[in-house]
Amino acid sequence: MCLGIPGKIIEMRDDNGLVMGVVDFGGVRRECCLAYVQDDVTLGDYVIVHVGFAITKVDEAEAQRTFEVLKEMGETQELEWLAEVADNSLAAGNDA
Amino acid sequence: MKFLSEYRDAQIAKAVIERIKAEATQRWCLMEVCGGQTHTIVRQGIDELLEDAIEMIHGPGCPVCVTPLEQIDKALLIAARPEVLFTSFGDMLRVPGSDCDLQQVRARGGDVRIVYSPLDALALAQRNPTKEVVFFAVGFETTAPANAMAVWRARELGVKNFSVLVSHVTVPPAITAIMEAPDNRVQGFLAAGHVCAVMGWTEYEPLAAKYQVPIVVTGFEPVDILEGMLLVVRQLEAGRHEVENQYVRSVRREGTPAARVTVDRVFELGNRKWRGIGEIPMSGLKLRDEFAAFDAEVKFGVQDLTVEEPAECRAGDVLTGRLKPPKCSAFGTRCTPEHPLGALMVSAEGACAAYYHIGRYRPEATGAAT
Ligand code: SF4
Repeated sequence: MCLGIPGKIIEMRDDNGLVMGVVDFGGVRRECCLAYVQDDVTLGDYVIVHVGFAITKVDEAEAQRTFEVLKEMGETQELEWLAEVADNSLAAGNDA
Repeated sequence: MKFLSEYRDAQIAKAVIERIKAEATQRWCLMEVCGGQTHTIVRQGIDELLEDAIEMIHGPGCPVCVTPLEQIDKALLIAARPEVLFTSFGDMLRVPGSDCDLQQVRARGGDVRIVYSPLDALALAQRNPTKEVVFFAVGFETTAPANAMAVWRARELGVKNFSVLVSHVTVPPAITAIMEAPDNRVQGFLAAGHVCAVMGWTEYEPLAAKYQVPIVVTGFEPVDILEGMLLVVRQLEAGRHEVENQYVRSVRREGTPAARVTVDRVFELGNRKWRGIGEIPMSGLKLRDEFAAFDAEVKFGVQDLTVEEPAECRAGDVLTGRLKPPKCSAFGTRCTPEHPLGALMVSAEGACAAYYHIGRYRPEATGAAT
């Protein structure tokens, strides 16, 4: 859970006073909280995301490079999560 | 060097390794604090490559691994309650408690779900008003801003059926505890890059001065780690002890101020037990009194539970560098990732699991490595 993953902000919006957005991680997209970096970033910027929260901004070249290295090291399980497990558990919550 | 040679930056890595070997006039003892770094170091065999110049001790930097048994037992008690929908990061589900783990609670009918973010848990609470949704808030300073925000939002939005079981730890008190230990051998630290991306490194400056120990803020890729090691070795060779930043591309001295503010509003420092190490004063975060309504320990009356750690697991000795995982009598036999005896064998970031997964030092690891 400590490994941060870099991604690109492709959507930003205000959710009841909290800045949220959609971040694209090499094709996998996910809702993230942008509140902590909101003064630093705009649409199209790259951020490092930890457990659904952007904690710092990075430049594009750095983000691409880190992403490739993570893939090389086989460290993208967190992305599989993001895409499957986590969203499934949320979806299941809808029926209850 | 199977893995490092396959790695794209292998040329740079080799050059840095040569520099470290050339500059070290003695064998220095370094500790990496972050579990992500432990994973990279063991997996890429970095410690073996530098064996003559540096001894790496794997520090207590994996949140899964340091969560004490009693917090796991509290989670198990709460998760088994019929009205509770228990949520957690995935790695916590297999951490053994006194007599079972969260996965087994789920198999027996408990509603236990994996979430990616604490805000997902809050959303579940809003969608399931008849359930008590509890989130297992574990981690170092990297997850604290997220967990703090979930509690802050719950209050803001008036979500009453949401609470958190807090087991937060912070890095600087752990460094203090390691340096204060009478048999300490650590001479320099690689500090965790992403922890510092949030918190900055001002807290480390007094530690470096007081214990005369170099602390280098370091990223988690192989080349980052090697560069961090080189910077520490250079300081040691020159007799310096400063805080330096290897991970300049992501970390600023002041960290991410907005995140620190929210963490401060919701949490305060408190004593915290670390698995296998025991209680370290003011080493954890607890909810401030004004957020007591969101404290799962209070809500479900488990705050007084205390549990002794199992004697056979040597996690404390591994976390403080007194023992390398394969030297534990249970390693690879009674303790495996499938049936972990201790938390260090559960998460890929735990030192024992990291050694096990690469098949290093396993008695029967004759070519049949996984
Ligand atoms: S091998 Fe297992 S029992 Fe031994 S220290 Fe590691 S986690 Fe504990």
